[in-house]
Amino acid sequence: MAIASAPALALFLQTPLKQSLVHLSGVDIAIIAIYFGIVIYIGFYLKGSSNTSEEFFMAGREMTAWIAGLSFVSANLGSLELMGWAGSAYQYGILATHWYWIGAIPAMLFLGIIMMPFYYISKVNSVPGYLALRYGDGTRALSAICFALMTVLMSGINMYAMAVVMKVVLGWDLNFSIWVSSITVAIYVALGGLRSAIFNEVLQFLLIWLGALLIPILGLVEAGGWENLKHQIAARLGTTNYTHLWSTTAHFRDNPMGIHWTGLVFGLGIVISFGYWTTDFLVVQRVLSARNLRSARMAPIIGAAFKMAVPFIVILPGLLALSVLPFHLVPQDVAVVTGQHSYNEVLPLMLVRYCGPGLLGLGVTALIAGFMSGMAGNVSAFATVWTYDIYGAFMNKKASDSHYVAMGRWCTFIGVLISVGTAYLVQHAASIMDYVQALFSFFIAPLFGTVILGMLWKRATRAGGFWGLLAGTCTAIGLWAWVEKDPSALRYVALSPDAKAMAADMYRALWSWLVCLIVTVAVSLMTKPKPVEELGGLVYGVTKLPEEHDDHWYQKPIVWAGAIAVIFIGLNIIFW
Amino acid sequence: MRGHSSIWLFSGILLLAYGVIITGTGLWELGHPLAHPPVLSWLHAPIWWGAVMLCAGLFYTIRFRHHR
Repeated sequence: MAIASAPALALFLQTPLKQSLVHLSGVDIAIIAIYFGIVIYIGFYLKGSSNTSEEFFMAGREMTAWIAGLSFVSANLGSLELMGWAGSAYQYGILATHWYWIGAIPAMLFLGIIMMPFYYISKVNSVPGYLALRYGDGTRALSAICFALMTVLMSGINMYAMAVVMKVVLGWDLNFSIWVSSITVAIYVALGGLRSAIFNEVLQFLLIWLGALLIPILGLVEAGGWENLKHQIAARLGTTNYTHLWSTTAHFRDNPMGIHWTGLVFGLGIVISFGYWTTDFLVVQRVLSARNLRSARMAPIIGAAFKMAVPFIVILPGLLALSVLPFHLVPQDVAVVTGQHSYNEVLPLMLVRYCGPGLLGLGVTALIAGFMSGMAGNVSAFATVWTYDIYGAFMNKKASDSHYVAMGRWCTFIGVLISVGTAYLVQHAASIMDYVQALFSFFIAPLFGTVILGMLWKRATRAGGFWGLLAGTCTAIGLWAWVEKDPSALRYVALSPDAKAMAADMYRALWSWLVCLIVTVAVSLMTKPKPVEELGGLVYGVTKLPEEHDDHWYQKPIVWAGAIAVIFIGLNIIFW
Repeated sequence: MRGHSSIWLFSGILLLAYGVIITGTGLWELGHPLAHPPVLSWLHAPIWWGAVMLCAGLFYTIRFRHHR
């Protein structure tokens, strides 16, 4: 709170106090209390299993494919994912599903099949750690600092989304709910490290599904099925554009999101998605904890299967709200002024609509669990990158293992404190998700360019990697600042005067990625390459991948990746 | 490092506890209807949803009680 800006606090204090949607019964409070009790217990229970840095930061590298895979998805399934995208579904319709399908599935499969062997064989502890081996310490420092910054900002966004739930549903004091939840996360992550975070993420994943699944089930019963829902939305909004994935994306002005299919395919599907799912250490760290290479390759594939199902509990409630809610929701900035409910409140509103005592407590617990899993993912990744890639790499290289573990525990608390402060800064954003997309394009898109060239092109050099990453990041920030200063510049960034904010994010990511690639290639061709013998285990073509001996064809990761890919294509055709 | 209980055991215990509480609440509501029932309350979602959780919790608790 001490570092929250004065304008942010002013806006915060001006927010009208709406009457809470519901008062929790004793049963609901008992359900929430049991959840808090068990997550803290897990932290204390696993404290004895996190005494070395390998145990604290990498969970001993002994997770099964299922646990690593569920944790991989759960760390991403924060309250922001749940509420933000449910709100986006209300605002933009089924187009929001792209962030779960084309914006995730191909990249997750690519991570499991192509990239995971390099991360795993090199035995690095982090993505910046891989960059250190491939490009040197300059690139490592740049990516580690960018990642640490992004991580705490993301964590703050998660916290803000959480505070909205508590305000809308329960009428709880925002500060109280923020501090109770974040201190709980800090305790169980600081005590049990990544193992505790992963254990809780699996638990939270189950809770999120159990708490949220009733909304689409009961919602579809009320709407009379999917076909009736489509008709009701079309009748209410006067357009069928809200229930088509691709058919409205031939032109920016034909769909509610103001986006073109090229932005979705190239900006989201290739750059942002691959950047996030293959280089964001928050999720990659979960896979690195797998006990062997096969588990590490299967984890993202298992995660992809579950990720593909998430729109059922996130997007569908947003669409159902378009049909069944008796009032209209408004953007966050309007809600602050008028006292109406905002898009981001759609999920709790639907929860209250269908759930009475007991189930309401379960649903609220699911939202709290989503917040905690997202935040735990952020702070555990932050602690690892800070300790290994900033503190251990540049500030204190020769400390003892126990010293680094202690540093990791302290970093967890510090990361939480910074996140709490950040939570108050994000309240200016009209839409939480727009803000997140902007952040992704700053750091994630150029990083993907650097990592993928490093893995696939042995000619990429140390200087090329550093300058490419720097140029890409600066391009993203520059384009963002340009549009912020002059909104009409959007027509140049997104290639159309009809483009809206989401489209701008996609194209900004694409341009920054391309600049990163071009600069990396250009500088690499002008500088001396690393000897090939130093690239073993790091680059495709000079790395001997270990033979995998599966007893049956159906045990091969490629088979399951193929099955997921077929379902993915089928779903896109069905909802075309 | 000592062995520790499986995450699936923790999941089972939590599901079991929630299943008991939510099913119990649903059954209690049969005799004590809510003053402001949620939409579709006649479907008695707490009873069958709680029962699903209870069964899943029982299975995981028993299946993984000695698993490390």
